Amino acid sequence: MFTEIIEILDRFLSFFEQSLAFLGHHLFLIFGLLAIVASVTMVFAKNAVHSVLAFLATMICTAACYFTLQAEFLAVAQLLVYAGGIVVLFLFVVMLVELSRFKENRLFQRQTPLAMFVVLLGVVGFLTMFRRLIFAPSASEALTLSPELAEGLDVAGQNAQAISRGMFTGYLLPFETMSVILLIALIGAVVLAKQERV
Amino acid sequence: MPEMTLVQTLLIAFIQAILIIVFVFVAVPLTIFSERKVLGFVQQRLGSTRVAGRLGGITGLMNRGMWWMGKIPIVHYFRGLPGLVGDIFKLFIKEDVKPAKADRLVYLIAPAISMVAAMMVYAVVSFYPGVLFTIPSWVPIIGGLPVAGAMADVNVGILILLGIASVGVYGIVLGAWASNSKYPLLGGLRSAAQMVSYEVPLTLSLLVPVILAGSLSFGEMTRGVATGSSPWAIPSLVFGFFVYMTCGYAEVNRLPFDMPEAENELVAGFHTEYSGMRFGLFYLAEYINMSVVAAIASAFFFGGPWLLPFGLQSFVPEACWWIGQPHWYIYVAKIFFFLFVFIWVRGSWPRYRYDQIMAVAWKYLIPLALVNLVVAGLVRYFA
Repeated sequence: MFTEIIEILDRFLSFFEQSLAFLGHHLFLIFGLLAIVASVTMVFAKNAVHSVLAFLATMICTAACYFTLQAEFLAVAQLLVYAGGIVVLFLFVVMLVELSRFKENRLFQRQTPLAMFVVLLGVVGFLTMFRRLIFAPSASEALTLSPELAEGLDVAGQNAQAISRGMFTGYLLPFETMSVILLIALIGAVVLAKQERV
Repeated sequence: MPEMTLVQTLLIAFIQAILIIVFVFVAVPLTIFSERKVLGFVQQRLGSTRVAGRLGGITGLMNRGMWWMGKIPIVHYFRGLPGLVGDIFKLFIKEDVKPAKADRLVYLIAPAISMVAAMMVYAVVSFYPGVLFTIPSWVPIIGGLPVAGAMADVNVGILILLGIASVGVYGIVLGAWASNSKYPLLGGLRSAAQMVSYEVPLTLSLLVPVILAGSLSFGEMTRGVATGSSPWAIPSLVFGFFVYMTCGYAEVNRLPFDMPEAENELVAGFHTEYSGMRFGLFYLAEYINMSVVAAIASAFFFGGPWLLPFGLQSFVPEACWWIGQPHWYIYVAKIFFFLFVFIWVRGSWPRYRYDQIMAVAWKYLIPLALVNLVVAGLVRYFA
């Protein structure tokens, strides 16, 4: 009697463990599907604030995808920059605009056939390019840009160090150029906004 | 350490999560009660002393005796404590009123976002470096395994912490918008602007311990600042601490920065239309956020589980080794002390005006934090 119970428990436990391991291996797929669902919701939501919420969910699911690829720094940067910064500003703008006036009544826009064609083309191109990667299990090792930069580092465990090494040794010029471009955009926005008041 | 299976890892994480929840839900009601008492002390009154105004039972008898002797009875002093249970019970059983024109979905999930974002930060908080205790070997499945003092002391811990904390602003903004009422909307807009603004100097002031410790992991930062920083770093640490605390008060919308719920202007800010347990979630999230700010301040500036603040730990001579040992209860005591400081400040400072709040953030705190950051960088480079 007693041994039977233990046996049943044991079997249940091993089944539980196997299913957990299965889930763990396919976490990337789960979060990827969630991200797709959320982004579809974002497109088709009639209320703009619901769209922003779905966008937030997409960003968080994308960050979770990065986590499953062991790119912790990238995931957290995604969370900080998009979820914490950009989507808040979106929400701010959407809240301030009178929503009822711009309510979408039709589900699709007028240029549907052309847009559908372009999107289909993009999807087909994407699938042919990445067909081997899409249904593969999650990566067990982190991806790096070039292996010689990550010498002496455990890339999966020391994500931030590896990325900073790449940024400040191998790719310093593009990195700084990007920051200058962003700064120019920022100053340009301020100048454009200021002109009306003077 | 033995290799752990997936189930074992999850069970250990589950135990740690329960420990953290126990800690939070002991700390929060105690803070609420002590807020009443400390504010009473600051304003020269008793605070909450009775549940329903009765003087029955043993405590009532003792109290009557002490009143008769002309003394404030000590038992009487803690008689407000059951009122706390009553408060929470009231939150649970109250009718959940929903405005007719509220956006149903967003109205429902906004308090949850607040609460989840506040609780999840504790996943990366390291209460103790190393093993907290070992599970006895007779326990099934997880017997003999160590339970670490941190749930996940990951490589980018402080960034995760800031990222999750920055999601917390959605709870307030969405709750304000979904109520479909003008006072909550105004309060929500104010708080969103305030929280987004104060996130900048907050992050800048947290970069000081990052630079000094040379790491982004919570545990390593605590250890590096507490035991390994040079004496020249002390001024910038002290200064960074004050900048951090100021921003922390603004982040959790406490006095003197509690613009979102400035009662005389905005009824109750973003949670005007909320009632019952949904309001309770906002209420809890505010206090949990307070404890999070207290935890971060005590970990990165006050030495965390080590005894002495601001990197003074490295001057402790070898002979006094018992001072040099980290303990989790030192950390918890520091968290409680900072929760007390929250109430203390609330009792002694008036509220800022909205433009003053913004001026403090953008004109003073950000430049000061930047200068402080440069000083910390110089200390790190030369000393």
